[in-house]
Amino acid sequence: MSVFSRNRSVPIFIGLLTVFALGVTILSEAYGTGALSVSFTKVLGMTLCLCLAALAMDLVWGYCGILSLGHFAFFGLGGYVIGMWLMTARTDAVVRANLAQAPIPPTEAEISDATALQIFSVVGAEDWPWMWAASDSLFLTLLLIVAVPGLLALVFGWLAFRSRVTGVYLSILTQAMTLALSLYLFQNDTGLRGNNGLSGLQNIPGAGDIGQDRISIWFFWASAVALGLSYVGAAWLVSGKFGSIIRGIRDDEQRVRFLGYRVEVYKLFVFTLTGILCGIAGALYYPQAGIINPDEIAPIASIYLAVWVAIGGRGRLYGAVIGAAVVSLLSTYFTGGRAPDIDLGAFTIEWVDWWPVLLGLGFVMVTLFAPKGLGGLVDYVVRKAPKEDRT
Amino acid sequence: MNSLLEVQGISVTFDGFRAINNLSFQIGLPELRAVIGPNGAGKTTFMDIVTGKTRPDSGTVRWGEMGHSLLSMSEAQIAQAGIGRKFQRPTVFEDQSVRENLRVALKKPRGPLAAIMDRVTDEDRARIAAIAAEIGLSDHLEMQAGILSHGQKQWLEIGMLLAQDPRLLLVDEPAAGMTSEERAHTTALLKRLAESHAVVVVEHDMEFVRRLDCRVTVLHEGSVLAEGTLDHVMADQRVIEVYLGR
Repeated sequence: MSVFSRNRSVPIFIGLLTVFALGVTILSEAYGTGALSVSFTKVLGMTLCLCLAALAMDLVWGYCGILSLGHFAFFGLGGYVIGMWLMTARTDAVVRANLAQAPIPPTEAEISDATALQIFSVVGAEDWPWMWAASDSLFLTLLLIVAVPGLLALVFGWLAFRSRVTGVYLSILTQAMTLALSLYLFQNDTGLRGNNGLSGLQNIPGAGDIGQDRISIWFFWASAVALGLSYVGAAWLVSGKFGSIIRGIRDDEQRVRFLGYRVEVYKLFVFTLTGILCGIAGALYYPQAGIINPDEIAPIASIYLAVWVAIGGRGRLYGAVIGAAVVSLLSTYFTGGRAPDIDLGAFTIEWVDWWPVLLGLGFVMVTLFAPKGLGGLVDYVVRKAPKEDRT
Repeated sequence: MNSLLEVQGISVTFDGFRAINNLSFQIGLPELRAVIGPNGAGKTTFMDIVTGKTRPDSGTVRWGEMGHSLLSMSEAQIAQAGIGRKFQRPTVFEDQSVRENLRVALKKPRGPLAAIMDRVTDEDRARIAAIAAEIGLSDHLEMQAGILSHGQKQWLEIGMLLAQDPRLLLVDEPAAGMTSEERAHTTALLKRLAESHAVVVVEHDMEFVRRLDCRVTVLHEGSVLAEGTLDHVMADQRVIEVYLGR
């Protein structure tokens, strides 16, 4: 019994994703006609990462019924972890190049000190903070991309689910968690450069000669592969007995408990797994964005994540992906200065300001007229077709 | 006859209201027992205590041959120990098919990893088919539980109870919303189950209790008022007062 037969959306989704990725490659500057700019390729790659985060949000909210308003914190943590490595390696290379001309060859300790000064002078520090200990090792960094969001989700989830905090109270707690983390990162002395954040993340160590045009496509593909694999994995997870149980928890937690299942263990499992998925998505997103700062983890980001899933249609994996892709691309369009402002004489509709209004209206419209979300529209196409065949 | 469940002197108070007052109860294996009593007599609270949903303020609840205390166990542990419960209002997973509902209930390891790796074996399939036949839903296995009729949902929940294969079944108003034909079927099923299980049935409908033809416990204001055959308890002056004075 393969996942392809258990969930019909999988082959279609993987097919469309492959066609999309190939199409972008063919139109890219590095490998194709050059119709797509490097920056737009990056936007598309980043969108795929946001889709991955939305997929995780759909698992935890749409399937397991936990309305987490803090999953973007895990996304940001993944970004910070990879950012530390990228920044260290990049600065290390720059420092080495500068010191190469020095008459006396610098020692490793001197290079390390100079690198630290370079990175932390902006917040008035010159020593390596403890949390950067693993930043010179790619292997440890990759491990931490999973471990840091995973551990935070595990500890937070354990405390919350063990005490049977549910519903709106849990949402408030997760929101508080992400707010606390964001405020903590805003401090200059926490070791993560305060509100400066980490920057220059688009420079990949050891790839100095390779242009951003090629790197953008590589990251685009990495994001597409991560999204594709996660989709298959998630579809496999929710189509079996595990999926039945977590949907049962969403609909009637008490009933699942009386069937002998430890509900808190299942919730913790889903919460942690999706936290890790968000961390991975963030680690792929920020090298494409080039910069991360504490604002990214602000509570509003996690709320947007929930809005995407709600607009896309929760409880169906492709719904989350559609929602995240449509809304975040529209957001880029309207707030990135691409949309032409509308001149109404007395005043001008500037989309940068009006986009949140439009999004809010869209959210209300979807809730009222398509409660199953944009993904729910697929039902009209899929369910009607077989009926016509029969007649 | 060994007692499977032994409840001794439990009391529980909600905001000053004494829902259960020094209640003692025991049931052996196998046995069929009907619990009756007016509204607010503490029938549901009693079930809540046995299944771990509510903790009593005092008293003991002992389970099985070893006499383990259920009071320190979670709902899930109690269910795994072999106590199954059917709710008064039928609670099935409406979003899922009848087959999925039964599969979730089926007696198998309850951990998340076991659930992820779970495959439907031939044995599982046969068991689900047998239960579906028993509850008259063989033709509806792929149907969403939400669109079943009220009676069918009752049956499905009984089926889920069977799938868990518990030793003690706590059944809250199984016959509510059923046709008289279905009631007869339910009675027969409960009686057959009681040949190898301990079954506690909470019921309002006296006619149904009479057909069960078993020992009856009458609860009133959180304690046992009388116990014995239906005719015996109905002849009891206090029981008559409680029922007529309602």
